[in-house]
Amino acid sequence: MGGGLSSALNAAKTSLEVNQKSIEIVGNNISNVNTEGYSRQSAELSTYPAVNFGDFFIGQGVKVANVKRDHDVFVTNQLRDKVVEYGLFDGQTRSLSELERVFNITEENIATDVDRFFDSWQELSASPSDLVLRDIVIQRGELLSTNFNNTANDLLTVQENINDSIVSKLEEVNSQIEEIASLNQSIFNIEIRGQMANSARDKRDMLANDLASSLGAESYENLDGMLSVNLPGGLPLVQGIQPMSIEANTSGASLNLELHAGSVVRPLNENLLGGEFAGLIDMRDNFIPALQEDLDRLAYEISSQVNFHHASGYGLDGSTGLSFFSGPTAVSTTPPAPVPADYANAARSMSVVLADSNQVAAATATPVAPGDNRNALTISNIGETYLVDGIDDFNSYYGKMTSRVGIRANQNQLNLEGSQDAVNQLENLRDGLTGVSLEEEMIDLIVYQRGFESSAKFLSTVDEMMQTLLTVKR
Amino acid sequence: MKVTENTTYRMLQTNLDRITNRLEDLRIQGSTGIKLNNPSDDPASIRPVLTTRTQLRTTERYLETMGVSLDKMQATDGHLEHVENILQRAKEIGINAINEANNVQDLGVLADEVSFLKEELLDSANGMVDGKFIFAGYQENTVPFVENTAYSDAAYDPADSTTWPIFYQGDGHPTQLEITPGEYMEVNLTGNELFMGINNTAVQAGGPTDVTAYSSDPGGTDVFSALQRLEDAIRSGNVNDPALAGGGIEQGLDNIDIAADQNRRLRSQLGNRARRVESAMTNQENVSNDLEQILSRYQDADAIETFNEIIKQETAFQAALNITAKVSDISILNYL
Repeated sequence: MGGGLSSALNAAKTSLEVNQKSIEIVGNNISNVNTEGYSRQSAELSTYPAVNFGDFFIGQGVKVANVKRDHDVFVTNQLRDKVVEYGLFDGQTRSLSELERVFNITEENIATDVDRFFDSWQELSASPSDLVLRDIVIQRGELLSTNFNNTANDLLTVQENINDSIVSKLEEVNSQIEEIASLNQSIFNIEIRGQMANSARDKRDMLANDLASSLGAESYENLDGMLSVNLPGGLPLVQGIQPMSIEANTSGASLNLELHAGSVVRPLNENLLGGEFAGLIDMRDNFIPALQEDLDRLAYEISSQVNFHHASGYGLDGSTGLSFFSGPTAVSTTPPAPVPADYANAARSMSVVLADSNQVAAATATPVAPGDNRNALTISNIGETYLVDGIDDFNSYYGKMTSRVGIRANQNQLNLEGSQDAVNQLENLRDGLTGVSLEEEMIDLIVYQRGFESSAKFLSTVDEMMQTLLTVKR
Repeated sequence: MKVTENTTYRMLQTNLDRITNRLEDLRIQGSTGIKLNNPSDDPASIRPVLTTRTQLRTTERYLETMGVSLDKMQATDGHLEHVENILQRAKEIGINAINEANNVQDLGVLADEVSFLKEELLDSANGMVDGKFIFAGYQENTVPFVENTAYSDAAYDPADSTTWPIFYQGDGHPTQLEITPGEYMEVNLTGNELFMGINNTAVQAGGPTDVTAYSSDPGGTDVFSALQRLEDAIRSGNVNDPALAGGGIEQGLDNIDIAADQNRRLRSQLGNRARRVESAMTNQENVSNDLEQILSRYQDADAIETFNEIIKQETAFQAALNITAKVSDISILNYL
């Protein structure tokens, strides 16, 4: 039985080692309780192969077969899907709040200036030869133009800010893509030897989540343990250990994204992207240009209507046929509905061209009588009587644009909250399945401590037995 | 499935964030008194708010315009009253000249007085408000009535204004102002209508008035001619011979009556318009109040509701904070 005792010593040794190892793992779990993306690890225990002893199989102790991490593919994938949505809405949030500031609804906005401009004509009608009132008409026109100029510039600034944030995020995105590729390599190297690359996998999962949020990237694991990452349009970001890169191509003021895959360059539009980038590019390329077009249209319509009526009237000095605003030249017949080419950039270039207050055409007839206020009355009524597309007067047209911003911002806010809830719930679910719970770790700690204590007790018992044996013969 | 510390704290954090955001919104509403601070707060009310603001501003403008109109009308009415008095006095003098046994000197004195009345009338007719002639139509910088230096009693022809003692240099355009949406109101009277009995349409159609021959409308008369002719008749003692100087005092008196009627008729017209302006002002003030109410309904926060909501959210916030603090109290570590 002597061999029996020493093999018992051996079994006790393995048990001591395994419990100690397990406590180390518990300790590591506790250390990483606040580490983002960390999955709880645990020791997978298995017995040493039993030895055939006469008629018996006797166990030879325990060993740590593997250190595995808790992982749930289903929740991980669901989370990755939801994160794409969250990124999309999150990407639009900042531009939308900037747009809400540009199209504000306080007392000072374009609608107010439109009102004030036409109001100054109404005021002039009560005293048409008053040079001060005539100056005020010109000044109000200038303020209105300036407000249009500023709003058009603000829209450009919002677009530029979007470009800036795209460029600043590109570097991070590219380094994440490279990191996934190199993690693929190291995971492959580790796992080919039969071990689990737990922390590398945690890290890779987190990077894939980040890419899902920023680019809407889809990812799936290959049989060899490598993670392939694609753009939602199917273009590859990581293939095996090969990273691609996304580059910004700036030509003039416009910024286009390109995917560099080896020597192949593919242009990226918002249909090939997802997540935050898609949100940003959708705002930049679709939503804001539509607002710009409407703003230009509004500026153009105001200018052409005022110019038309202004040109048909007479100034104090007998001048006639003069434009009030820059842009559309005064025509002698009712201006036709403009086509987009007519009003391109109208808001940004709007200005008052009439310089001399004597030329403000308040009169309808020549020779000009100083008290003739008929044209001033006509112009003052354009704001109420003229309808853009036969539907909206100037202010409701502006109101429509502002509501559009409001509706989009409002929806985005709701969507963002909704997807944030979903992401939170899924993160909680993931934590519930794979996260570190201190209670659990504490209990494990007790379990392994007791295991260690029992093994030690066992060891000392075997030792005593050996002592007893040794004292048999003196 | 287990509950981890991270889950708990994430949940608490999300809720605290949400409550503080809501509190922030409510506090903005409470401190500004406005619930519509951003387009996204209520996109549906943006258009009504902008339209209502526009209407409010135009209403204010209409009220101001009507104020200006009333001023002009009052000034005009003051002149019209003066004209009334002048004509009254002229009639008294005319009657005096017929009834009393006057000698040539007496008649001369009476005629001089009529002549002074004519001057006075001319002053009124050239009256100004704000440095502008009020009876000159659109020609507000031109003296509307000037003397015809070539006037002679013999050449006088009631059907030809170029033979009348006073020429009119204004035009036939009364000033129109917009007092309510789409309603234009004539806020003054033109000199041709008031003092010469020539309607505006005729004057607008014709050229410069001192060279074009006009005649007064039926039932109207040239007030200056009436006074001039009366003066001439009195001076020559012609009581009722139409062929002699001034056409006779009696006819002159008839003419003065016609002139006074013309003045009264236009004065009452102006009075009616002033009353219309006054009622329109009251109306627009009501409209303005209504619009303020509409605007307020769309954009103003209900103070009581807001403060109630703030208290509600603050309570929720406190509860959430309490729970957050309690979470760390309970731990397995206390029992090991």
